[in-house]
Amino acid sequence: MNLCEAEKTFILHGVEENFRVDGRERSQYRPMELETNVVAHAFGSSRLRLANTDVLVAVKIETDVPSVDQPDEGKIEFFVDCSANATPDFEGRGGEELATEIANSLTSAYRSTKAFNLSKLCILKGRKCWKLYVDILLLECGGNLYDAVSLAVKAALWNTDIPRVLAVNLDGNNVEMEVSDNIHECVKLDIVPAPVMVTISKIGEQCVVDPSAAEEQCATASMVVAVSQDRFTTVLQSGSGSLHPSTLRESLKLGLEIGSKLDQALIEVLKQKPAKKQIGFLM
Amino acid sequence: MPTDNKRIAGPEDSISYRLFKETSNESVLSKINNLKNNIRSDGRKTNEQRKIFLKCGVVSQAKGSAYFEVDNTKLIVSVYDPREIPKKTDYSLKGELFCIFKYAPFSCPNRRGHQQDAEEKQHSAIMKRALESAVCRHEFPNFQVDVYVLVLENDGSALSGAITAAGIALAQAGIPMYDTITSATLAIQGSTKLLDPTLEEEALCTIATHKSDTETGYDSHGIIVLAILSTHEQISEFYQLGNLNLDTLNESISILMNATKEIVPLVEKCLVDYVNKTFKANGQS
Amino acid sequence: MTKPLICVPGQRLCILDKTHESGQGTYERQGYIYSSLAGVVDVVDKDGVKVVEVQSTGEQTLVPTQGDIVTAQVTILTQDFCKCVIKCIGNTVLSRTYRGILRREDVCATDKDRVQIYKSYRPGDVILARVLPITEAHTYNLSTAENELGVVIAHSEHGYPMVPISWTQMQCTKMYTKELRKVAKVVPENMNTKT
Repeated sequence: MNLCEAEKTFILHGVEENFRVDGRERSQYRPMELETNVVAHAFGSSRLRLANTDVLVAVKIETDVPSVDQPDEGKIEFFVDCSANATPDFEGRGGEELATEIANSLTSAYRSTKAFNLSKLCILKGRKCWKLYVDILLLECGGNLYDAVSLAVKAALWNTDIPRVLAVNLDGNNVEMEVSDNIHECVKLDIVPAPVMVTISKIGEQCVVDPSAAEEQCATASMVVAVSQDRFTTVLQSGSGSLHPSTLRESLKLGLEIGSKLDQALIEVLKQKPAKKQIGFLM
Repeated sequence: MPTDNKRIAGPEDSISYRLFKETSNESVLSKINNLKNNIRSDGRKTNEQRKIFLKCGVVSQAKGSAYFEVDNTKLIVSVYDPREIPKKTDYSLKGELFCIFKYAPFSCPNRRGHQQDAEEKQHSAIMKRALESAVCRHEFPNFQVDVYVLVLENDGSALSGAITAAGIALAQAGIPMYDTITSATLAIQGSTKLLDPTLEEEALCTIATHKSDTETGYDSHGIIVLAILSTHEQISEFYQLGNLNLDTLNESISILMNATKEIVPLVEKCLVDYVNKTFKANGQS
Repeated sequence: MTKPLICVPGQRLCILDKTHESGQGTYERQGYIYSSLAGVVDVVDKDGVKVVEVQSTGEQTLVPTQGDIVTAQVTILTQDFCKCVIKCIGNTVLSRTYRGILRREDVCATDKDRVQIYKSYRPGDVILARVLPITEAHTYNLSTAENELGVVIAHSEHGYPMVPISWTQMQCTKMYTKELRKVAKVVPENMNTKT
């Protein structure tokens, strides 16, 4: 999408008046829809629709050997797939740059032990651990990908069931483990402190949250802050552009405020969900 | 990646010696608390940067290049002529920067592969974002300028050093720029803030620690990299890792702003020396 | 020799007003002229207006822009166009060449319909051309539709240098065979730049 100067000015004036093109205020989000447990073959999944941004996240689990540096920790990896369905620009390797950028930001945001404790994923120190593969599929791009992706990832992890390990035996160098037969006997992860990302765009002299695709084009600079329990786990700039120190401080404050609210709202919604759908009559 | 056949492989069931290194909560805390009177292990104060050595024009083949050294962090940046953006069909009004940040295989305690790993790719992206707002990109539409960074030895703060050095290399290459760009790193553990951290200090600050055994809450910890265009006071990149609250972040911004201001005269001097040298050489010929 | 005025990118040079204008190597922001290069400040007087310029002391970094005179070498001929490699812009020799394309209708100013590419250029010819506005990515459109533009250096089929004998012909210095070319009238200005 390419905007002409007049359209940009229109958006800019709207932001100035605190009345954006779609009728929102500067610090207001677009409506969101969240579904969890949507993918049958995944251990946990979610689908988030933020206006016309659509993200599908699925978590797969495998066993792995812990890394040498962190023998008592499991692993988590993020993969973003920008499918060409979203925009034709993503065709071939077009979306790769954006994909790695989002995946990297998630990796940084989840890196702090406080935000996401990997030690729970360890099965036997130095020998065996769980590895979470978080696959993120962008189905539609309507701006503000970072926020949508981070919310969907948190919801998917919330939804994730990790098989319960009943016993671990060490036979020489081989690790044998016994996993519970009951598929409903699972371990949940502690996802409450997991970070939520908020994108703040500077349009004209003002900072706005949740920019639409059109607004993203008018932004002179954008910050992405990952907030976990009133603390920042990652701050980075997205796209080129620079800002004044005072604007930086301002947007950090705004990001923290919005991020905490968003996080609370998400957790409330997630708690409402029934823990597990009851299927079949024997259970 | 080619495997090293000449190296004698350890026993099959061997474990790296680093596993036995103390990285527990207590050891990190004790190391941080050991900073008596804010003096660090290498004799610096917590808010003191290491001495910087800068030189431009070190790679004769490149249009512009710079060498950056602080103690044991050593890196080379080279900048090449604008070239056509490969695999691009539409016309873009603004030129692009293409950054490659690479650790030499021998630069870190762990051997680095020949291919860029995820961390190096992320550093490349950060550099690109930081530098793009400093360069007058409309002056070379539809072209990309290549910036290659090779870290020869990594002893912390390599990314911020690379950004500063790349700014010099770009200026030397005669790429039009809005401003000189300087960058600095700050590492935070608890209430201790270490400017221009070494590799060891960086590692200390990525680990979350408990305040004490009785408390379950974690202390703040993290690393911040900030790049700024000095004259116009524009922050072109702000990158934070870890877990920090708003006050710490605000305080860190002030510390980093001061730190980057200290580097500006060095960058300017390096460029002025270069201009002087070439001007004299041109005059003689 | 007076001491040169050295500046670095981002340095504020002077206020922007009616008597001062920003020239090459500088940019304007909020009423001031700033330097965008590391180099020497040069003030040129032009009709009472002082144009502030910054000259880079090292090799300049240039990309062709519309209206530039470039030196190019012809590589491929087809019925409708010939492809060339741009080697110099004005007086600056490029260290990295750019691709250019010269269409049949841009070869001559007159008799456009009767122009045939192979009667104007051959691969290996060194030509002077002007850069046209860019319409598509990657290639520069060139034009030689001026008397001063066209072939400057060419070799005959036998591989010997040729000298121009008319607007459309060049002669081999060894075999005395004549070949057709769109010959440039090399003006003294260009002669000077070669020495």
